[in-house]
Amino acid sequence: MKGKKIEKKGLIEALRRFLKDDFSLVLAFVKKDGFFRTRIFRRELEDISLVNPVFHMNTSVILRRIFTQDLKMIAILRPCETRAYVELKKLAQIESHIICGSVDCFGTVPSRIEPLSFPEEVRELKEVLDKSEDLRNACRACSFKSGKYGDFGIRFDSKFNWWFVPYTEMGKALSNLIDGEESELPEELKKGEEGKRLNFKSSLDELRSDLERCVMCLNCRDMCPVCYCVDCLFNKEEYVPKGDALMNLALSSEGIEVPKGKEIYHMIRMYHVSQTCVGCGGCEEACPQNVPLLKYFKGVSDRISGVFNYVPGRSFDEKIPYTTFEEDELSDAED
Amino acid sequence: MKIGLFLCHCGHNVKGTVDVAYLSQYFKDYPHVKVSCDYPFLCSKPGQEMIKEAVIKHGVDRIVIAACAPSLHFELFRQVIKEAGLNPYMLKRVSIREHCSWIGSDPIKNTKKALKLIKAGLHSVWHAIPFEEKKVEIERSCLVLGGGVAGLSASSFLSQMGIKVYLVEKGGELGGNLKALKNIWPGEKSASHILQILISRLNKEYVDIFTGAEIESVDGHFGNYRVQLNVRGKRKELKVGGIIVAIGCTPFDPSLKRDIPYGRDRRIVTTLDLERVSELSLPSHPRIAILHCVGSRDETIGRAYCSKICCMNGLKAAYDLKRSYPDSYVESFYMDVRAHPRGGEEFYEKVQEKGVIFTRSNVPEIIPKKEGILLRGEDTLTGETFEREFDLVVLSLGIGPPEDGKKISQILKIPLDKDGFFLEAHPKMRPFDTPIKGIFIAGGCSGPKDVEESITQGRAAAFKLFSLINMGYALIEPQVATVFTERCSGCRLCERVCPASAIVYDHRSRVIRIEEAQCAGCGLCASICPSSSITLTGYTDAQIIDEQRALL
Amino acid sequence: MEENVKIIGFACSYCAYKASEMAGSLRLKYPEGVTIIQVPCSSRVDPALIIKALLEGADGVFVAGCHPGECHFIKGNYFTRRRIYALKEMLDIFSMKGKLRLFWISASEARKFVEKIKEMHKHLRESKR
Repeated sequence: MKGKKIEKKGLIEALRRFLKDDFSLVLAFVKKDGFFRTRIFRRELEDISLVNPVFHMNTSVILRRIFTQDLKMIAILRPCETRAYVELKKLAQIESHIICGSVDCFGTVPSRIEPLSFPEEVRELKEVLDKSEDLRNACRACSFKSGKYGDFGIRFDSKFNWWFVPYTEMGKALSNLIDGEESELPEELKKGEEGKRLNFKSSLDELRSDLERCVMCLNCRDMCPVCYCVDCLFNKEEYVPKGDALMNLALSSEGIEVPKGKEIYHMIRMYHVSQTCVGCGGCEEACPQNVPLLKYFKGVSDRISGVFNYVPGRSFDEKIPYTTFEEDELSDAED
Repeated sequence: MKIGLFLCHCGHNVKGTVDVAYLSQYFKDYPHVKVSCDYPFLCSKPGQEMIKEAVIKHGVDRIVIAACAPSLHFELFRQVIKEAGLNPYMLKRVSIREHCSWIGSDPIKNTKKALKLIKAGLHSVWHAIPFEEKKVEIERSCLVLGGGVAGLSASSFLSQMGIKVYLVEKGGELGGNLKALKNIWPGEKSASHILQILISRLNKEYVDIFTGAEIESVDGHFGNYRVQLNVRGKRKELKVGGIIVAIGCTPFDPSLKRDIPYGRDRRIVTTLDLERVSELSLPSHPRIAILHCVGSRDETIGRAYCSKICCMNGLKAAYDLKRSYPDSYVESFYMDVRAHPRGGEEFYEKVQEKGVIFTRSNVPEIIPKKEGILLRGEDTLTGETFEREFDLVVLSLGIGPPEDGKKISQILKIPLDKDGFFLEAHPKMRPFDTPIKGIFIAGGCSGPKDVEESITQGRAAAFKLFSLINMGYALIEPQVATVFTERCSGCRLCERVCPASAIVYDHRSRVIRIEEAQCAGCGLCASICPSSSITLTGYTDAQIIDEQRALL
Repeated sequence: MEENVKIIGFACSYCAYKASEMAGSLRLKYPEGVTIIQVPCSSRVDPALIIKALLEGADGVFVAGCHPGECHFIKGNYFTRRRIYALKEMLDIFSMKGKLRLFWISASEARKFVEKIKEMHKHLRESKR
């Protein structure tokens, strides 16, 4: 596999060249006033930060439902965000000309413990994060931290040189904007980790006690990048009754507990995202009650996608398992 | 909402273990139940009358009948409801006999279970909506793809029945694979004569023939397909009611098999070449080898299946050669002789009597030499290896899938099997049907077939299509999927899984649309939709959840 | 009330539901806690419905469809197979795997149908104790 050895200056110049067009945008992280922020640049671009050690939300949440054909955008994101982007693209939620790539990630800390001072230099940042005790659960459990997803990747080799690696035609187009010649990637960037799957095990009682705090605010759904429905199942009253439906239910039974349907909501959502969950932990970040959601969602997704040897966000061409089948498979499905 | 609940004793069958009187009393006060009564035999004439009277008297608008299994007396009770002035879809049948009184013997438990079942039925009927079976006008025309034997046979039948036929042939003239043949076994019938008969049977008034034409796209549904044709570079649009796919099969190309030096030596010919050549330049006492199963039953080229017709072709070639060259030595190398058509086995014997030698063998090596072609192989009966020289080697060709199979399968959205032939909806019960209503398959494109079978199949597929088109209208199954457009995210999961290709994605509004006439009513889309924006009328989520709740 | 095991079954109208009707006509006995909901195809069964049933009091749920390759809608049950398999994998995480079963029952297999549900009922009754 080939890539271009780049420097930040070269990348920024390339992005500036891209931004000359009126309908071009660049989505990237930026450090401003000591805070890490996410910004969409138009026309002008001063500086960007490739690595963002503070996780606010999965940026792909805002990439949903972009259909404008005129728009051209480069998005430089974390691997988990890029994988969510790939899944959304497969789910026809993005049709614009977006070039989305991933940058090697060293883990992130929750946004609630900001402000923290992080060094800008990648090598120093990695050292700080490696030692940090505040890393998010999602990042601790993550085995997809290398920038191998999306249209292109920005990788750091062992000497912390930067490499721009195109994966698709769109990635190549961006690569052409960057000065320099392509050369063979260093060995350590070629192998890289294969996502190992957790063999998660829990129990209904454990789930129930964890959900004890849940207030059914549905924030976890709203901040989930792959919960893409414009009108969620749980906005209706069939699964999570509200109002009259709730009262009817109370009247027709021996009384009920409220809020109703916590386990049902979370389990159905687990099933819904089981093929597409990228394990970013956005749900956990969004939860006001600190419910440990990630272990369930990632655990379920790891096990179910493992059955079909599917990795969400790995490639644009792999079919989502529920939408396809092989005639001769799962011979032990019948009980 | 006023529900009428009717319980049937079915003589002693239900009443024996279910306290029907108690149940009918219990449900008198149930929400929305207006009338609840029981009767010894609801299916009897007085029983039917009682239902009708009760409906009219109490102004009931939906009905639950708790009796035998729903598939029994299905039409009868529907008729009763209709006569009572209600829509037949406002009826819910609850099986308290097959699913309750007959499977348990404890009266208390059975009564409890019947109570739950009836509750579920009542909850389900709350969601009932009246349906009208919609009729759509259909085009009295059809598209026949392929001007080979099967296509001609289908077209002749349909045109004679007064259906407009658009016969589309990719090649320059009609006839398909038959054109390549001189005469046809049995009876040495002239192939061109058969072709003439088939063409003469077309009712010219009703047939439009497009040669040098291919289809580019098809949309619509049964009764109203819009077809885009490319006729020698010019576009043409047709509107047809149904489609018959008869694009035939392709003989195996022996040059694909590397160990056969076909095309490099004139002494190696195929059975098809034999048909073309009138005079073979052979020495006196020619030595002739016939190789069976070239391009079939061969895992190495990915064709494990038997091509079925090449045995007869090989036998016929051997017979013809032996007759033309009585002084020849003809040896047939075969795996098995599968002379399956009528009279085939007798013909096989006749060929043997004629003096053709049959050797059950494997012939992996074909080496052209100056004096002749050396065949080296193994006699699989004795296990001995042999080497023999021949002046002529005839390859009996297997049959491959249609050339354009993949393309047509994508345009029409009909499936192919693993070998590349079109897949029938059911190998026994629906051999000419595809999963899509109004599209049929016939002839060699669904597997190797001889001329006789292809004619039969063409006609059979034509008859199936005729019986649909001749109705003049198509009934749309009322229990079809419907989409709540405002809730649809346009993720296209449903489009990818729909077995009937009834889901169309609208690129402008980014939501999906359901072709009602195409929908088969399986509900796969409803269950894959994460936001439940699609519901299957008659089996909505709310309905199943309410039923479920009653049963728990 | 040790018999109080509630099982909800989703049965495809073209095969398993017919088999259940036949089981009745053959007077085959099975526990009364088993109730069946008719669906047009096993692929109509949304896993969400199963999760809801299991969390709202059902001790077990089974989905019964046509044998692979025999679906009336050609390929519905292949999707059912993937889904239910995945759902079982998920339920296994919560130690609920035994509560969901997938059966392939053709219209003529009334006896197999009854055996399967009896076995399931027995298993659930034992694990409930």
